[in-house]
Amino acid sequence: MNTKIGLRQIDQKIVLGGIVVVIIIVMSFLSPKFLEVNNFVNILLQISPLVIIASAANLLMISGNFDLSVGGVYAFCAILHAFITKRGVPIAAAIIIACIFAIIWGILNGVMVGVLNVNPVIATISTMYSASGFAYLIARWDGGANIAAGLPSNFSAFGRTNVFGVIPIIILIMIIFVVIFIIVERKTVLGRYSFAIGGNRQAAKLSGINIPGVIVALYAIVGLLAGLTGVIQVSRVGSAFPNFGEGLEFDVLIAIVLGGTSIIGGEGTIFGMLIGASIVGLVANGLNLMNVPYFYQTVTKGLILVIAVLINQLIRNRKRA
Amino acid sequence: MGEINSDVIISIDELHKQYEGVHALKGVTFNIKSNSIHCIIGENGSGKSTLIKILSGALDRTRGDIKFEGKLFNPRNIRDARNQGVVALYQELNIVDDLTVEENFTLGREKNTLGIIRKNSDLNKFEDIMKSLSESISLKTDVRDLSTAQKQIIEITKAISEDCKILIMDEPTASLSEEETSYIFQVVKKLKEKGITIIYISHKLREVFEIGDYVTVLRDGQMIQTKNVNEIKKECKGVIVDAYNELVRMMLGKFVVETYIPSETDFTQKIIEAKNIKNKRLKDVSFDLFKGEILGFYGLIGSGKTEVARVLYGIDSYDGEVSVKGRKVTYKNIRGALKTGIAMIPEERRADGIFGELALKSNIPMMKINSILKNGFLNRLKENILADKYIKKLGIAARNRDQKVAFLSGGNQQKVVISKCLNCESDILLMDEPTRGVDVGAKREIHEIVRDFVKQGKGAIVFSSELPEILHLCDRMVIMHEGKAISIIKNSRQLDADKITKIIASGGVVNYDS
Repeated sequence: MNTKIGLRQIDQKIVLGGIVVVIIIVMSFLSPKFLEVNNFVNILLQISPLVIIASAANLLMISGNFDLSVGGVYAFCAILHAFITKRGVPIAAAIIIACIFAIIWGILNGVMVGVLNVNPVIATISTMYSASGFAYLIARWDGGANIAAGLPSNFSAFGRTNVFGVIPIIILIMIIFVVIFIIVERKTVLGRYSFAIGGNRQAAKLSGINIPGVIVALYAIVGLLAGLTGVIQVSRVGSAFPNFGEGLEFDVLIAIVLGGTSIIGGEGTIFGMLIGASIVGLVANGLNLMNVPYFYQTVTKGLILVIAVLINQLIRNRKRA
Repeated sequence: MGEINSDVIISIDELHKQYEGVHALKGVTFNIKSNSIHCIIGENGSGKSTLIKILSGALDRTRGDIKFEGKLFNPRNIRDARNQGVVALYQELNIVDDLTVEENFTLGREKNTLGIIRKNSDLNKFEDIMKSLSESISLKTDVRDLSTAQKQIIEITKAISEDCKILIMDEPTASLSEEETSYIFQVVKKLKEKGITIIYISHKLREVFEIGDYVTVLRDGQMIQTKNVNEIKKECKGVIVDAYNELVRMMLGKFVVETYIPSETDFTQKIIEAKNIKNKRLKDVSFDLFKGEILGFYGLIGSGKTEVARVLYGIDSYDGEVSVKGRKVTYKNIRGALKTGIAMIPEERRADGIFGELALKSNIPMMKINSILKNGFLNRLKENILADKYIKKLGIAARNRDQKVAFLSGGNQQKVVISKCLNCESDILLMDEPTRGVDVGAKREIHEIVRDFVKQGKGAIVFSSELPEILHLCDRMVIMHEGKAISIIKNSRQLDADKITKIIASGGVVNYDS
């Protein structure tokens, strides 16, 4: 009887925290480099774009929606940023312009899903293809398959900044957005309404909550963060490719679902998403260190997504039993 | 009802059930006679659900004996109980809307030849039983086109076709109209004629007198009394109201009699004036709501009363004129209605009212989030104070304010929905079936809350398909029939259900002072 109750009360986060510890222990035996500080900074650098986007996308999923266009918007804004800075637009202005376009993509998603009631999968896949298509087009307008040459000399200054001389700017931005979204999730009307809409859409409507407004706002924020992250990354890398950010939407999805956010909405935490993202980062890093070929890594990611969903269901069913 | 076979079919002896820390059944002992309709009544938390779950094999008991036809009855699970002849029908129907009646019956036991479904030989038996219970259902009908009552008949038929001896019915009429209820009653009586014993759980006490042979009252996990219904009637000299009150006394352990209490209505001030409201479902509805008044809308399902609520709450569009406090309103959505000062308690509280996965304290401010904001952020202290205020004011029984609302009883969930609306501080409260599926005690409390609300110079409109509720609560009642307001009747203590029924039957002659 007691064990039954114990199992019921198990939280997905505890299970996953355990998995993180196990991965770290196993990896440290398999690769001597794994435990080095440098390697952990690498992992953080690797997962920071994912975490920045997922901190907003997590709230979107709590509201019962999701966004498969983040990779496309990310690539679009990266290319756009390179394209206009190359033509003399100051870096700061270019960042703002790219972010405005990112918000427009997000609003487009939001209007399709929230106002026109298009299924989120269909709506955001169409945005993904359009944004990604435009990324290729812009690269072609520039005259090539990518934008690498002719960028201003200070193009990479922003992305490669180390705050206080040690913290890469993208890691700092990640920390800032995680903190912001913890506050949004717990302390703001937007956060509360997201839980309400995901938990019981009909009751939310009858309570007078502006559902289309909330959904458009959430998609706009997710779009903004996808675009902003693309801009920072392109500046870090120093050249822009239209296939930048391929598969990013699935990394975001894996991190969120692994973290225990309900696929149908109404439940979830940023903290869980962070653990989910760490697993994604640790596994990718570990496989890299062991020189596992890229394609096996993709297969592994697929497996992790299925396992994540299974854990999600298992724990949910247990709670209901 | 006099000649009842006196053989005992089930005897329950010192039945105990302990959950984690909760003693849900504390030594319940009583007998159920063969081929009788045995009602079990009690408030939420009295142990009825636990008892029927043990009987139907869904729960283990802690200790105690149950004998079924003289032999010890220890079902391992629901299937085992079913095989031994004990079947429970719960409120959530186990039936697939997308299939036909026939497909529902054969679901899970299709016989096939090379993957092609063959006709099931049990089907004839099923059809015979179904036709004997109700002529109106055909095997080829899509289940989606059936009424809730008809769906129940299909479940009942499924149970009987598996040779069930004891049928446990858990509040079968909770979401049925009066018409459907009497249809189900006819079926229950036919089941008795077929020799089946029925254990009937209900919140509606008058049902006990309509179909019950015996009644067992549970309170706080104890059996208070098991009585022959005819004996109760005899003791009360046939006065149903007294008999009813006697049952309530047994259930609550104290006397509570609910009668109509007139509100202090100010008939010079109209809060709502609705003229010639028409839309797809409504054909000309006009009425006024006065300051301090509780107005009732009574009608069967499909009469248009819910549609009136939807129009006033900005969900459906309409032609005609609605004025609130003398000003014509033009809002076209729910937020507009809320801004105008109209809040609604929806009919289906689980689907439309509560956020089950959210804490009690998070549910309450949902319709007016400003009430817990401080400098633009949600404020935990304000949220807690607000929750505590309503928990105390409405007497919400919850473990604490952080409890998920899904785990509260029906009555307490309804109080949460009401708290949400009261927190809007609106002037007009629309309540669609405010006490459906709620026990007697909570029902009275909810009625008391409505009376308190209108005392503050506000107005409430109650939409109900339960005539007693309208008669106890409302100052005037609008009788709805096929989308029309056929008459408006002023309430008084002399009025009773019979008189109302006569008025409806006569085509709704408007008479203000009856």
